[in-house]
Amino acid sequence: MTDATSASAPASQPPRIGSILHESDRTKRRNAAERRFRLYGVIAISIGMLFLAALLFAIVRNGIPAFTQTYMTVQIELPADVLDENGNRDPEDLRKVSTFGYNPLIAAALERTVSEAGIETEITDGSDLRDMLSSAAGAQLRDTVLADPDVIGTTQEFRLLASSRVDGYMKGRVDRESLARDPNLSPEHLDVVDGLVDAGAINRSFNWPFITGSDASESRPEQAGMGVAILGSFFMMLVVLVLSLPIGVAASIYLEEFAPQNKFTDFIEVNISNLAAVPSIVFGILGLAVFIQFAHLPQSAPLVGGLTLTLMTLPTIVISTRASLKAVPPSIRDAALGVGASKMQSVFHHVLPLAMPGILTGTIIGLAQALGETAPLLLIGMVGYIATNYPDGVASGFLDPNSAMPAQIFEWAKRADPAYYERAWGGIIILLVFLLTMNLIAILLRRRFERRW
Amino acid sequence: MYDVPNSERTVTATDTKIAAKGVQVYYGDTHAIKDVDVQIADKTVTAFIGPSGCGKSTFLRCLNRMNDTIDICRVEGDIHIDGEDIYDKRVDPVQLRAKVGMVFQKPNPFPKSIYDNVAYGPRIHGMARNKAELDDIVESALRRAALWNEAKDRLQAPGTGLSGGQQQRLCIARAVATEPEILLMDEPCSALDPIATAQVEELIDELRQNYAVVIVTHSMQQAARVSQKTAFFHLGNLVEYDDTNKIFTNPTDKRTESYITGRIG
Ligand SMILES: Nc1ncnc2c1ncn2[C@@H]1O[C@H](COP(=O)(O)OP(=O)(O)OP(=O)(O)O)[C@@H](O)[C@H]1O
Ligand SMILES: [Mg+2]
Repeated sequence: MTDATSASAPASQPPRIGSILHESDRTKRRNAAERRFRLYGVIAISIGMLFLAALLFAIVRNGIPAFTQTYMTVQIELPADVLDENGNRDPEDLRKVSTFGYNPLIAAALERTVSEAGIETEITDGSDLRDMLSSAAGAQLRDTVLADPDVIGTTQEFRLLASSRVDGYMKGRVDRESLARDPNLSPEHLDVVDGLVDAGAINRSFNWPFITGSDASESRPEQAGMGVAILGSFFMMLVVLVLSLPIGVAASIYLEEFAPQNKFTDFIEVNISNLAAVPSIVFGILGLAVFIQFAHLPQSAPLVGGLTLTLMTLPTIVISTRASLKAVPPSIRDAALGVGASKMQSVFHHVLPLAMPGILTGTIIGLAQALGETAPLLLIGMVGYIATNYPDGVASGFLDPNSAMPAQIFEWAKRADPAYYERAWGGIIILLVFLLTMNLIAILLRRRFERRW
Repeated sequence: MYDVPNSERTVTATDTKIAAKGVQVYYGDTHAIKDVDVQIADKTVTAFIGPSGCGKSTFLRCLNRMNDTIDICRVEGDIHIDGEDIYDKRVDPVQLRAKVGMVFQKPNPFPKSIYDNVAYGPRIHGMARNKAELDDIVESALRRAALWNEAKDRLQAPGTGLSGGQQQRLCIARAVATEPEILLMDEPCSALDPIATAQVEELIDELRQNYAVVIVTHSMQQAARVSQKTAFFHLGNLVEYDDTNKIFTNPTDKRTESYITGRIG
């Protein structure tokens, strides 16, 4: 300040700040505004947490029952005259007895079990009692016999899948009232079930087949599992990873570090941003047109699913990779060029390692998105009753019709039976476990690469 | 006006190392360097002085083609090093930069260990046959940059964890480790304390035995202390270029005189 200005200031003016021990009005207003803003923040976070908690609660409550399954333990006689008329244990002959041929054996065993347990019931006919078991029970017996013909002529203990209604009763999903209108099982059956539970013949255990098994037909929800669909998702993710990571990262490095800045690269840039916002179903129909109708790749194959999801994931990976390359300070590039490194050396020795955590995170988020994507799969036929068989090898894993986790969940949710609804929630838990694992891997990789500063 | 201790050891080798003629630099529409002619001698320290924004860094960056990395930058005119046009189509800028090392205005160590920072250049140029040789190169470079005593016990610690002044000396060590023929230094001492500055100035003086050194500085005392030739830039023009001695005691141009006496800048 010059003398002139200080002289012109009115002498009566109070000091601008005054005592710093008292908040001035301005400071008070400023602090109040800050407190309000913090409060908004806390409210916003609380609302978010509330929704998250509600979501998790709903998923766990609805989905956990799918992870246990009700079984009935029965002693079943396997008479030789029914199962092997010629008595020579010829596998060809054994195969001729269909699963229906086993039903009378099951019925007889059930009658005996019920009467041995001392249960009074109006249902005396074994074939009626048979409704308590899954229709898959016959196949379970037949598989045992075919696998080991020596069991013929003996009495074996079997743990048979209970029907979905009995399972639902055990889990509290089904009660006598709802069965009054249900043709599959009558309320009287439940009395028998109660008796068998007391006798220890019916119990619930952890449902491994739900995690490892294959999809089942509409009438056998108790048998349906995610395993094959998980494999389908796995093969798809393999395709996505192998294609989108190198292509995406190479494209981003080229665009960000080497490409000249001109109209053409601007055009590409705009288009990549737009592609990231294209609805996934559009990629689905593109996949249908290009890979199936034009290139004649097999329908419903994880390979096609993977290719389609690659198209969808690429923009995500390119955008996040470019962002993390951009975040590397230009002075690092100058430093490398300054000591005589080539452009490529500066990128690969210095820029890329620094961008790596961001690239990996972007890639895994892209993969996680792809893993949870359903819409494109609907269009290339990866939904429906198809995840019924395990692929016999790597090639068939890529090429044979399969589903994927989210498509399988969608398929189950679509089926009318409430037992399938429960499986759909259970499937969501499995899907979320996979997604959380992937995020965890992302975090670990990030940590690992960041430690190298 | 200024004490010029180097005045008696005036330019010994007068071979021209860098010859610039009619150099124009544009950043888009900004005309940053206007028709600069300058001849920089080998085995000499040449100082560039001038007010902020006058184009010292820009001109310096022309000498090793670092301006190539700025898309909007356009360089016209001729710059010859050892008689070869560095803007010739056949010139590979990477090879040029191995010959013309640079220390930047802001310290920019790699986010790697101190050792790897210094060893990076020798490694990519294949200057060491084995680990022992590389160790020697690193040690001598750190010694010349007056950083050895502080760094010798923490060679594996991150270079980015050093103080600002230490980082700048690390960058100097990194630049000298590749044994360039010309060393361009853009305000190498702006982040250093007087002791480190004195050490770097000593280093510069030592480098003069073998290299051509070009140093940009805002410190008139420093220019007077270390350089034999001084170029004064103003608004993109090279106003005056002469023996340091002459510039600081008897400048020809009025603008030079105003600047060194503190009236413009
Ligand atoms: N990357 C760039 N893009 C556009 N203009 C630039 C760029 N770099 C420098 N300029 C302009 O060129 C002119 C010269 O800048 P330069 O950095 O060479 O100045 P300087 O003499 O080094 O200044 P200082 O002493 O502050 O470092 C300035 O007007 C500046 O705004
Ligand atoms: Mg500068």
